Amino acid sequence: MVNYGGDEVSALVLDIGSSSVRAGYAGDDIPKAIIPSFYGYKATTVDGDVQMGGNAPENFESTTKQTPSDAKLYLGQNGPSIWREGMEIGNPVRDALIFDFNPIPALISHALVDVMRVNPSEHPILVTEPAWNTPANRERMAEIMFEEFHVPAFYIANTGVLNAFAAGKGSALVIDVGHAMASITPVVDGFVLRKGLVSSALPKLVQAHARHILSNPTQTRRGIELLPHQLIANKLPVEPGAPPKFSLREDRLSGTTESWRVWCESREVEEWIQSVAGVLDQGWNDQAAASRPARQYEFPTGYNTYFGPERYQVGEQFFFHSPQLVAQNPNLPKNIPTLLSESLRACDPDLRQVLMGNVVLTGGGSLFPGFADRLEAELSRNFPHVKIHAPGNPIERRYGGWLGGSILASLGTFHQLWISREEWQEHGKPIVGQRCK
Amino acid sequence: MAVSASDIRSALSLPSSSTLVQSTTPAPRKSQGQITKKPEGISRELYALIGPSAPSLVAHLAKPRLKQKPNFGSGGKVKWEWRPFRNAGRTDSLQLGHWVKAADDPGAEYPFTKYNVQSQSYTYSQEEYTRFLEDKDWTKDETDHLFNVVREYDTRWYVVHDRYEPPPDGPTRSLEDLKDRYYSVCRKLIRNRPWTGDEASKAQLLNSYQFDKDRERMRKDYIASLEDRTPEEIAEEEALFIELKRLEQNERKFKKERDELLRTLLGIDSGLPDIVAEEDGLSALSAEGFKKRKKNANEIEIPSTPSNIISLGPPPPKRAHSAKSAAYDAQHCILRVEPPASSTTKITHTPVHLRSFKLPAPKAALLPKVTQALTELGINPTRLVMPTRENCTRLESLIEATTALIDTKKVVDRVEQDIRVLRVRLGRASEGAEEDGKEGTPMEVDGGAGAGADVDADADADAEGEVDGRAQSILSTRSGRGRKQVRYSSQILSMPI
Repeated sequence: MVNYGGDEVSALVLDIGSSSVRAGYAGDDIPKAIIPSFYGYKATTVDGDVQMGGNAPENFESTTKQTPSDAKLYLGQNGPSIWREGMEIGNPVRDALIFDFNPIPALISHALVDVMRVNPSEHPILVTEPAWNTPANRERMAEIMFEEFHVPAFYIANTGVLNAFAAGKGSALVIDVGHAMASITPVVDGFVLRKGLVSSALPKLVQAHARHILSNPTQTRRGIELLPHQLIANKLPVEPGAPPKFSLREDRLSGTTESWRVWCESREVEEWIQSVAGVLDQGWNDQAAASRPARQYEFPTGYNTYFGPERYQVGEQFFFHSPQLVAQNPNLPKNIPTLLSESLRACDPDLRQVLMGNVVLTGGGSLFPGFADRLEAELSRNFPHVKIHAPGNPIERRYGGWLGGSILASLGTFHQLWISREEWQEHGKPIVGQRCK
Repeated sequence: MAVSASDIRSALSLPSSSTLVQSTTPAPRKSQGQITKKPEGISRELYALIGPSAPSLVAHLAKPRLKQKPNFGSGGKVKWEWRPFRNAGRTDSLQLGHWVKAADDPGAEYPFTKYNVQSQSYTYSQEEYTRFLEDKDWTKDETDHLFNVVREYDTRWYVVHDRYEPPPDGPTRSLEDLKDRYYSVCRKLIRNRPWTGDEASKAQLLNSYQFDKDRERMRKDYIASLEDRTPEEIAEEEALFIELKRLEQNERKFKKERDELLRTLLGIDSGLPDIVAEEDGLSALSAEGFKKRKKNANEIEIPSTPSNIISLGPPPPKRAHSAKSAAYDAQHCILRVEPPASSTTKITHTPVHLRSFKLPAPKAALLPKVTQALTELGINPTRLVMPTRENCTRLESLIEATTALIDTKKVVDRVEQDIRVLRVRLGRASEGAEEDGKEGTPMEVDGGAGAGADVDADADADAEGEVDGRAQSILSTRSGRGRKQVRYSSQILSMPI
């Protein structure tokens, strides 16, 4: 028992991300509950200030509205994905930070009580936070846990550190490409070097680019209608490239809110990205892109076509931005090579070798085919000894932060770090900052 | 089905054991009860068959010792129970629960507490600070902050540097500044505090807090400049490095070759260090070495004359060619050569060589003729496909034979020519009476010379010496040789004959 250092105290691990909330027992290798962070809500008292026009598709800032606290929430797998009349879609997380704490207790409760069927007051809980989390945010999280869920002990750990732990490393350069944010976190001896921490909303740019590719007409095809299957009554099979034959569910159109439609469209784009998009492993090259086989994809409308080089343009946005794109958008999210050099410049010269030898690639956004190869090619061009740890298992890649938390919270030596209920009551909020460095 | 020993004995019509025993020795009769006390590890039936008379078998048939079964706990089942525990590393009364074996001592200390090691760090009082630790760059507050951060992060300097927040009006501190301040404060504290141990351990402790800020900074700068190289600079550096390697290699090769040459030409006089090794070298010069050499000479036969040859180890001791060694040699195609017994001086010494290098070359004057003769035979004398000993000897004898043949032919040609000339003269002398002053017809001479040339074209260089004045014009035009030479030779040679 002592040999491997594990001592399980049936702790829970909760990882709230931009696209999903992961919860499970410490010591497991897969979170038991994975529910979307998006939720549906219907304001019970419909007030007049509902303005939906702000969410233009080309705008990659997510919604900034806060959910009214008395709204009816629809959570989990059957929450946002089911069409309901007048249901809005919200997400409490923006730029990987929780900005709206109103639906958070409900989300946590859904994951722990409804899905995992546990009583949170019986288990110590470890929550994750991004490296750029604010002290106020983590204190608020501790407050929710202690005051609303009555947990016996609480700890909040950094996703960068946890991703390094999940890879079995104490010091690492963690490249985390998530749903909303791409970040590079230098971790030394289990501590984040805050000066070397960089992040950008790169995945949002990639999604916007994909949406642009799909919805704008090209020489060979018209713009694609990104309609979700919930709004389609029936459809007929058509030849690739032929206009789709389908009919809409007219009864639902009037009750569909703008936020739900935007959410559905972004889901369609994401589905397309996940099944079709890729990254060229040796930099952009028109010939190489053209030589790759085209892939067929069918949209819910029944429209289907083959996607050739354009599917690699999507992944290319991670690594290279064309000069005209940079010229058009002055505050374009920085691409990964830029982030890397920025992060390394902030680190001590002695550390650079260590970090480059322990690059950890994680996050669901890094699952583009060829992403790890491309990263390796980019890095080895500039640094002599690069070693990239990129788990081949998609579960480990997507839930690396949760996995590291699962490892950490099941270690015998960790149990003296928990913030107990007693300490919380005695010291109040400052204890979080003191304990969770 | 129990078969007793007596059944078997009766079946094989052997006398019963009891009668056998009774007849030979008056040993006490074995009762039936004794037989049932069979040793462990042998089946009852087998024991009944073989009886107690096989003690050696019993030892073999003792219960086979298989691999020991793993012992999971004491008795198969282990009882685990959920038990709350307290962590001594914690200051509060948090109780967490975990599964432990029910047999474990509930009062035992939490096993992970021992990993809670606190690193010791220095603290100082206000008085100490004012007395020893004043620094114009650092205020006491900032030093306090530094010590707090260092303590908090257990002297993980990269993290300390990352989390260190300089006062708003203070200067930004580099990692070296922080380390320098921390270590210098520690050194001063060690030096000025009363020390209970001995001086050596104090010096050692002081040494462990040594920090050279300038050197460290220089090292960092160097690393940074190493990383800031452009690809062109790196490529150039690499090219230079390869060039340097190549030059070094060339120089080494050149030196080796020069040494080789010196060794070959001068031997010991070259003064090269590795020649001295042999006893017939320098050691011969000193009396001591000479004695030693003499002593050695008794043991193994070495050339007695001091020589400057570079030998490849001591010459092999001459041993009597026994029948056995001869057979061995024959089997392995070893051919023993007698060392040149006469002298092993520098001049006569022949170094190790390839046999094919020592092929006999014909005399330079005869070389073209020999070559031609051999070419006619279809042999290329300059290169042997398989220069074995036999082949070399045969080639040598062939070349000898060819040379001899050419010589003979030359003599024959000369004699024939003489005969011809004399015949012509004789004829002229006899004809002279009839046709006065008339010389031999050119046609005749031409025919004779032409026949000679046909037989052996090479011989005509020698033959034309014998041709008299009138024949020479014809010969010279035909052979295209230098007329001058022909005339010269004819002037010399034609006189007395």
